[in-house]
Amino acid sequence: MWLMAVFTFKEAMRKRVVLVAVLLTLAFLILYGTGLHFTLGMDVRIADPAAANVFKLLEALTMFSMGIYLASFLVAGLAILAAVGSIAGEIENGTLYPLAARPLTRRDLLLGKYFGLAAMLVTYSALFFLALVGLVYWQTGLLLPGRWVALALFALKPLVLLSVTMLGTTKLPTLGNGVLAFGLYALSVLGGMIEQIGVMLGSTAAVYIGVVTSLILPADAVYRRVVATVVDSLAQGTSPDMVFFNPAHVLGPFGSHSTPSDWMLLYTAGYIVVMLIVAVRVFNRRDV
Amino acid sequence: MAIIEVAHLTKVYGQQVACRDICLSVEEGQIFGFLGPNGAGKSTLVKMLVGLVYPTAGTALVAGYAPTDTRSRRQIGFLPENFRLHGWLKGSELVNFHARLAGLDYRSAKRSSQAALELVGLAKEGEKLVANYSKGMQQRLGLAAALVGDPRVVFLDEPTSALDPLGRREVREILLSLKAAGKTVFLNSHLLSEVEQVCDRVSIINRGLVVADGKPHELQAASTAVAIKLSGLPVLLAVELQRDYPRLQIEGDLLTLRAQSPEDTADVVAKLAAQGCRIYEVTPHHNSLEDVYVHLMQEGEKTCG
Repeated sequence: MWLMAVFTFKEAMRKRVVLVAVLLTLAFLILYGTGLHFTLGMDVRIADPAAANVFKLLEALTMFSMGIYLASFLVAGLAILAAVGSIAGEIENGTLYPLAARPLTRRDLLLGKYFGLAAMLVTYSALFFLALVGLVYWQTGLLLPGRWVALALFALKPLVLLSVTMLGTTKLPTLGNGVLAFGLYALSVLGGMIEQIGVMLGSTAAVYIGVVTSLILPADAVYRRVVATVVDSLAQGTSPDMVFFNPAHVLGPFGSHSTPSDWMLLYTAGYIVVMLIVAVRVFNRRDV
Repeated sequence: MAIIEVAHLTKVYGQQVACRDICLSVEEGQIFGFLGPNGAGKSTLVKMLVGLVYPTAGTALVAGYAPTDTRSRRQIGFLPENFRLHGWLKGSELVNFHARLAGLDYRSAKRSSQAALELVGLAKEGEKLVANYSKGMQQRLGLAAALVGDPRVVFLDEPTSALDPLGRREVREILLSLKAAGKTVFLNSHLLSEVEQVCDRVSIINRGLVVADGKPHELQAASTAVAIKLSGLPVLLAVELQRDYPRLQIEGDLLTLRAQSPEDTADVVAKLAAQGCRIYEVTPHHNSLEDVYVHLMQEGEKTCG
């Protein structure tokens, strides 16, 4: 399995999709850094020094959350595109035949691919996250608290999408799997957004919609937990200044008004495991 | 000792029967040719034997284990038809990776992959990216990947389809060297001359059914045509012979018999002599495997026992 994982990691790193993702990420970071420089550099005069301090903090937090929100789209896209044809596509183009005939169980082949892609995605997500944290620190001097836990959660999100896409590729052709994976992700993001608005407006039905979509694909829930981790840590670290504002409210639907619980994180971990078990079973039964 | 045993193997895809009730046995150390037209079920059978496709019915054993068992896969090499190799790797990296998957440690894999590349004539091309290889080079590289790790049985599905005549000859030589080293080769092909030159045994499949099985010379002898030049053939005898031997043709003083066995020829000659015919020539026409193949494709099908 580990031979396959290393092979898949190398393959992913040399594939064009990763090169394109890296170039897009660099472009994104340049644009983001430029945006940070000009928005946070604006001269806003607030008489009360404590309020001015809070304003700066919230400004930095808003820009960071926006960055993380958009970054998670890029990470999700890379997760889906990297895995979308990893079984079905390789059967279609004939590269899987020589490998699948080797003394390697289908389980090891599939999990090897999963772990190889997971290693690439975790590396990419972690570097992306650290770049965002670094840019915020460079422009504001704010070293975001809770960043290591948030980083771990940020790297968890693509693993959720990866597990679903791996299951899809054991059964569906590449195009169909791509449509399904992106569709589910869009559903998850939309559900998450409806849930946050539901909390702000006090609509229980809207909140339930978000909960159900999170159960179908807990990708957006993980993002909400990333934001909540940073916001909660920030409030604890600067509690005297935060009496005027609740940072979560300032972030609007991009924030985490309804923070996913630890149970949701446990569900997410279980979700990944179940997706992989089902993927192995489906792959075990199919003709190559 | 049989290293491949196939009993009543059947594969059905929906309404389409790819292989029907196939039975065969391949002795260790043989080059076994599996012949048939495109779409006859050859590749499906090979895929079942290497564990890529699950049979609908029947059983198969390769090196004593079910094809899906990794203990079987440890002893095989496989060159698929219509395969593609990972273009982002160098040739040497690809073969080395297959050697590692075959269970060799780092050093042995390095040695084995180098030897395999030399065997297929790509020793100097190993540092090139596979994406830059020609089609023929990719086929050679696929062969090297199949041979790496010292497999006992090698399954080759149309191994020369992308090669020029010189490349084909080299592959034939590789097959013979594998045989000399005691390896078993299962060769799927529709290139009859190739099979005729190297195979110890041949099975012919048509529309999912095995229609002939045996050594090439036996198959060739089994439907030998004999031309008999004679005079004085009585009309009654001609009618009787045509009734008893439907594939007998009489044109003037030339009688042509496509005999099922040498006994048929002997019987016909005895009858002609007994009725006072004068026999000037009895000339056997030796069929090529191609003649046998074409004849069988036209003749129909027979199930295995």
